[in-house]
Amino acid sequence: MEDYKFLFKVVLVGNAGVGKTCLVRRFTQGLFPPGQGATIGVDFMIKTVEVDGEKVKLQIWDTAGQERFRSITQSYYRSAHALILVYDISCQPTFDCLPDWLREIEEYANNKVLRILVGNKTDREDREIPRHIGDDFAQRHGMYFLETSAKEAENVERLFMEIAVELMEQAKCKELPKYDGSLGPINGKTTSVSDSSCCLRS
Amino acid sequence: MSLSLLLEKYDVSTEEGLEKALNEIEKEEEEVEEALSNVLSRACAIEGRLRTTSLAYARLADVRSDAQAAGDMVQRTADLARDSRVAECQQRVHDLIDLQLCSAGVEAAIRGHDYETGAAHVARFLAMDPGSVAAARARGAADPREAMNRAAQTLRDNLVKKFEEAAKKDDEASVERLFKLFPQIGRADEGVDLLARYLAKHVESSIRRNCTIANPSAEGAVFADALTRLLEAGGAVVERARTLAAGAAPARLSRALAIIQPVICGNARRLSSEMRTTRGLSAASADPRRAQYPPEPRTLEPTLDELALMHSRIYLYFAFLRRKAETDASSLEEPAKTKAVVTVHKIIAESDLMRTAQDLLGHYLTLERYFLEESVSKALKMATPQPGVTCSSLVDDVYFIARKCIRRGLSTGSVDGACAVLNEAATQLEREVAAALRRWVRSAPSDPLPLPLPPGTPANAPLDLPALPAATATLLGQRLNRDVEAQKALFLAHMSEADAGAEWAERLAAEACADAEPLFRASPAASAEGERAKFQSCAAGLAAAATAFRTAHDLALAGLCAALKPRAAAWADAIASPTVEDENEAGDALPAALDELAASAHAELPSRAADALLVSVVADITTRAEGRLLLHVYDREGGLAVERRTRRLAAWAGGGAGGARERCARLTQAASLLALERLAHVPDALRPTPRLAVHEVKDILARSGESEDGIGIEIGPRTGIDEIEDEKRVQYQDGDIPVLDINDIPLLIGTHHETPPMSVRVAQNWFKRFQSGDFDVKDEPRSGRPVTEKVNAILENVGQDRHISFYDIAEELRINHKNFSTLFKKDFATTERSAYARTVITRLIITQFEECAAFKMTWHLNTAVWETILGPCGKRDKFSNVKFP
Repeated sequence: MEDYKFLFKVVLVGNAGVGKTCLVRRFTQGLFPPGQGATIGVDFMIKTVEVDGEKVKLQIWDTAGQERFRSITQSYYRSAHALILVYDISCQPTFDCLPDWLREIEEYANNKVLRILVGNKTDREDREIPRHIGDDFAQRHGMYFLETSAKEAENVERLFMEIAVELMEQAKCKELPKYDGSLGPINGKTTSVSDSSCCLRS
Repeated sequence: MSLSLLLEKYDVSTEEGLEKALNEIEKEEEEVEEALSNVLSRACAIEGRLRTTSLAYARLADVRSDAQAAGDMVQRTADLARDSRVAECQQRVHDLIDLQLCSAGVEAAIRGHDYETGAAHVARFLAMDPGSVAAARARGAADPREAMNRAAQTLRDNLVKKFEEAAKKDDEASVERLFKLFPQIGRADEGVDLLARYLAKHVESSIRRNCTIANPSAEGAVFADALTRLLEAGGAVVERARTLAAGAAPARLSRALAIIQPVICGNARRLSSEMRTTRGLSAASADPRRAQYPPEPRTLEPTLDELALMHSRIYLYFAFLRRKAETDASSLEEPAKTKAVVTVHKIIAESDLMRTAQDLLGHYLTLERYFLEESVSKALKMATPQPGVTCSSLVDDVYFIARKCIRRGLSTGSVDGACAVLNEAATQLEREVAAALRRWVRSAPSDPLPLPLPPGTPANAPLDLPALPAATATLLGQRLNRDVEAQKALFLAHMSEADAGAEWAERLAAEACADAEPLFRASPAASAEGERAKFQSCAAGLAAAATAFRTAHDLALAGLCAALKPRAAAWADAIASPTVEDENEAGDALPAALDELAASAHAELPSRAADALLVSVVADITTRAEGRLLLHVYDREGGLAVERRTRRLAAWAGGGAGGARERCARLTQAASLLALERLAHVPDALRPTPRLAVHEVKDILARSGESEDGIGIEIGPRTGIDEIEDEKRVQYQDGDIPVLDINDIPLLIGTHHETPPMSVRVAQNWFKRFQSGDFDVKDEPRSGRPVTEKVNAILENVGQDRHISFYDIAEELRINHKNFSTLFKKDFATTERSAYARTVITRLIITQFEECAAFKMTWHLNTAVWETILGPCGKRDKFSNVKFP
């Protein structure tokens, strides 16, 4: 195996054209590819970062935003450790769709998943969603919030690094009091995915 | 003639002879003289000639230099001639001649419908240097360009007209003949367009003929078949366009494809929407879970297979196009080649057929997920434990389902699709199957594996039957017995299943990765590696499922060990008993009992689990026996008997369960201490390494009747003893709570009591309810039982922080308090009674508290009550972040 201590899966979701692929490219390759075509299905990138001197491997799943790929992308929600929900600050409809996305996340993702709301394209002049609106929305739904620009490389590194730090803390907390989580699902949504799958250790 | 010869010939001695000789000599002299004069005269002539020659030579040198000059001049002229495009002029002369011919010829050819000739003329004209034409004009000739252009235009119009006529008549030969002329008149692109349009129309009609579903509701994959025919026709027509164009107008596949492709796309879309309507997959009710009447999963299989097949056909078609694009562009130079290939890829990516494929895949995946979920839940339903069922094929069934789905996912030809199916399968295995197994194995039945009790122990009746007529009681007993047996068998079956599940989940992942290799090979080389990594990462989801199965298995193992605890405890009692029994008979009892356990464990369980179980049971016996040693007083005989028994156990552990031998060392040493004749031998008893701490040694020695005065003895400094002291703590510690499990209940409730207040079964049910997270003592289904109120009363007392004595609780629940005190004798002395009583009763209730709190269960106790309850546990930190309702 490669030399890393933690492996986390990060899944990006959000409407088509909000810049998910650009965010991932900017983070993993340092590029901003203009004229990026629509993502087909799911793309898969890996970047290893270092947090507190420990190697953390981030497996980033960049999903297609278009409706017809939904059944492919939905299958990735469950194994995600972090879900990044992206909208375009210069495009009201992408913000209006957020509740739908949250419903989808509720339905398919593990309920303990780390959720981050990201308003992308801060470089654009024609902002439609003020920052505080996004912030409010995130707070109301218990999400982290960040505004980014993949084009200007603003906050992109920070976004992924904070996710890595947060997930690592979670993983470490889980290590300490290891009580038996043998109780099965109590209602439909709660699952006992936790201890086994949450961090695949190398 | 030489003189000597002459002298010999003639006799010079004689006069006559001399005379003759003289004559002879004279004659010769004359001859010589004559010859000489001859030569002299010739010399004169030669001299004259030489003079002439030298004269001529001088003249020749002049000629040579002249010739040189002339040659240079010719050379220069030639060079000059080349520079001044003499050749071009010649060409131009030819051109001019041809031009005349062409402009005259083309019209004649058109008039004569000889398009080949006409086209050849135009081709000739187009190949001409524009300069020639200009030159011709300059020389005053009529401008031929206009005439030629006009002629070419007419020719084109005629060709187009002819082509269309031929196309209408479906005259393939003419079509091909006419198509070849277009490149000649410089309109290759137009020709390709026309050809492609013709072919598109052609294929359209043939598709309409061949690929219409006459009977959509027919059995079999009619739509997939139709789509296959459609794509085959499409592939054939593209290939035809390519081969036709390759000769005349090479590398124009993308142009032809742009025209032909929409026809195929349109028909494929028509087919796919027809299929969706027929198969009940309209977009609105794409998710069968939301349908009014959810379909039976099994009936979906043909549709699923068909969808996967259709999708894979489309992928094959695209692969074919990509391959043809490569071939088509192979004649081009590098940048143009890449461009041509990229254009084709772009047409593919943007084609409606691609979207159709994606839609099909979307439908397929939605349906496949439904199929997987429903099939798994059906398998779960069938496998849900029922009375009398002894075996379970859940993992078999689910493995079969998952494998089928994954293979079908792979058969779509799409890595993304296969990945999604893998993800879903892993979810189902982990979330449903492993979780169900975990639920089922959480509470082990009592006596799941035979471990005979020590001889002379009264066997507890497992259930107390009400007084019934003898016959009914026997019958009932039999039935109950059968159910209990079935329950045991099922538990063991589930445990083995959990083990198999882990293995099979991993096998599924490995199989999937192997089966997916052809997909990676088919995908473009640049992305193959990424696709493989993606797929393998999804397959790793199955490894997570395997972990979940292992957890279930470990849980079952723990349950099994716990269930054997009462019997282990009985054996511990037997080992520690100070009575001396008949050596041979009793000595063999424990190894025999353990042998029986080992045999059935190995028969019923995977060998790894069986070994772990045996080690754990032996460890349990030894730990308990060690605790029991402190409850008795031993005389010498008794001590020896204990030692004998422990050695037997150790010997068995050495042979029967490898890992358990180590566990016996402490007990063996303790027993040796009891059997000591003299205190001086204490160090010998602790060989080879002392496992007991100093104070433990003292405690044990205090139990030996004959060495009561030995409490103060010095064992002497022993290396390692103090370190061991910290590690090897006895089970109970101050402030800690003894962990109860269901098998401790009979001990808590007085089974030896003449009139038990609450049957073991009732207590166990209570315990189970608490364990499963149901703490609602007020809403007990069969309410009205006195015990409910009593527990409430106790809890109320606890809530008011009254000091309840141990006897109070025992009194309240009418529990045999003697049992309490024996069980917790050691701690009882050091712990405050009321606190202990609280601990015990609370522990009964909150054994599984952690999980319940974690899952935010609500129950009807107020915070104060919980605070009180948790206070003495000394474990508040563990719950500090739990909010009480």
